[in-house]
Amino acid sequence: MADYVSNPFRVFWSSAVLAKRALFAWLNPAMWATQLFGMSLFQIAFFVYVATFVNNAEVTVEFVAIGNALQSLAIVSIFAVCNITGEEKNQGTIENLLVSPANRFSVFVGRAMFQIVNGIATVVIAFFYAAFIFNVDFSHANLVGLALVILITTFAMTGFGLMLSSLGLFLRTSMIIANVFLFIGLLVCGVNFPVSYLPAYIQPISYAIPMTYGTEAARMAVSGASLGEMSGTLGLEALVGFLVMIAGYLMFRGFEHLARSRGTLDRF
Amino acid sequence: MPRLRALTASFRHQAAIFWAEPQWIVPNIIAPFVLAMVVLMLFREPSPEALLYAVLGGGMMGMWGNTLYASGFSIQSDRWWGTVDAIFAAPSSLIWIIGGRTIWHALIGIINGFFVLVVAVLIFQMPFVVADMPQFLLAFILTLLSLAALGMLFSAAFVLTRSAQVLTNGLEYPIYVGTGSMFPIALLPFWTNPLSLSLAPTWGIDAIRYAALDGYPHGFSAGYWGDLLALGLLSVFYLTVSIWLYKAVDKRARKTANLMRY
Repeated sequence: MADYVSNPFRVFWSSAVLAKRALFAWLNPAMWATQLFGMSLFQIAFFVYVATFVNNAEVTVEFVAIGNALQSLAIVSIFAVCNITGEEKNQGTIENLLVSPANRFSVFVGRAMFQIVNGIATVVIAFFYAAFIFNVDFSHANLVGLALVILITTFAMTGFGLMLSSLGLFLRTSMIIANVFLFIGLLVCGVNFPVSYLPAYIQPISYAIPMTYGTEAARMAVSGASLGEMSGTLGLEALVGFLVMIAGYLMFRGFEHLARSRGTLDRF
Repeated sequence: MPRLRALTASFRHQAAIFWAEPQWIVPNIIAPFVLAMVVLMLFREPSPEALLYAVLGGGMMGMWGNTLYASGFSIQSDRWWGTVDAIFAAPSSLIWIIGGRTIWHALIGIINGFFVLVVAVLIFQMPFVVADMPQFLLAFILTLLSLAALGMLFSAAFVLTRSAQVLTNGLEYPIYVGTGSMFPIALLPFWTNPLSLSLAPTWGIDAIRYAALDGYPHGFSAGYWGDLLALGLLSVFYLTVSIWLYKAVDKRARKTANLMRY
């Protein structure tokens, strides 16, 4: 038992398996599939029709469709991951988790693991819609590069979601934060218009979120840029993703300490 | 009278729940606010008409977000709190209880809608001038009531499912797209038009634009009063179906005895 708990990889794996089982214990697989196939379609459609109506020469339908296809990941990587701590609170399991000697990092990254798989599937389906419903031209696309963008963005944004999730330890609910950041990315991450449109004082916030680099790299990949040309943007995205994960872990420990000292751990 | 008492008690109860944690208004404001901002950023230098188009759409979204969350979470929360069977066992029929809650959320929806309008106008520092204020307010209130009627219809169906939360999240964008909240529905594929026109808020937002914009170029041929007539008829239809649905749901829930499962 002690060996098991002290092995972070085992803890990670059992946490991942448990999270997947717990999800499908309450969520009907058909409903999950509906969400997987439906949400990105309507999100892309909304912004594509808005862009068509606005008729801004700089913001083409292709620009918006690619941005939203990648950003559709947010419902999984931000909303679902951010709510991990909140759901543990709701179900009364957070105290048991935190008094166990298991490595925190392994437990919570493990909890997010299924959402990484879910996120990749969501984005792949969204790009399929971009190509076949919204007529984005993929004939010159660097598909390996695009796959790499999806992979790195999913991991980086899950790290971002975990960072936000740590707030859920201290606050009564993580749902509010999850909702705010689910939508804020549409405004600040270059999803629907170039980041340069934003006031200068907001742009640093944009570049602190991995999605901003992801949308830029995805557009490069669809226009046929080589991996070498994309490497700078992807490298920055991976770095920001790594930094937010470290920040998330530190925040988690900090908020855990705060919640314990103020007795707010089971408040929801 | 007992029905009215149940309605007002449910209204007061919902108000108490809201004031216990008023931060829940944030999620319903943030989505329409951000979406309205995105549209205004896309316009770059929005004309007064474009500004009105975006903020009115945002206001409508604010009201819909609130109504949808209210209907989706209404019974789901009771499941979590273990109070759903008590509600079903009460002698008042379910529709009056949900009705009281919906009226409360409709009131909050007005605040949501106006908040989006006011903040968007303050940020872009343009005067919010509507062509015909009385007609605008009438269309605004009736659109809100039509959203509440649509919410009632959905909430009846949500009683039966454990996945109300997922459905709630998933129904935001389809309504934004289907009602043409931010663009004329003429841009949508032709085959989707019957679906759009079967949604009362589609007529409501068109009526709001008729009242707000001088010489509104994309309006339905029905005109302002025709829009309100269609909105009224559809809302009555939604309410009629939801009354029938609530009875059916009540019967089914008692028969299958799995109401508490979540």
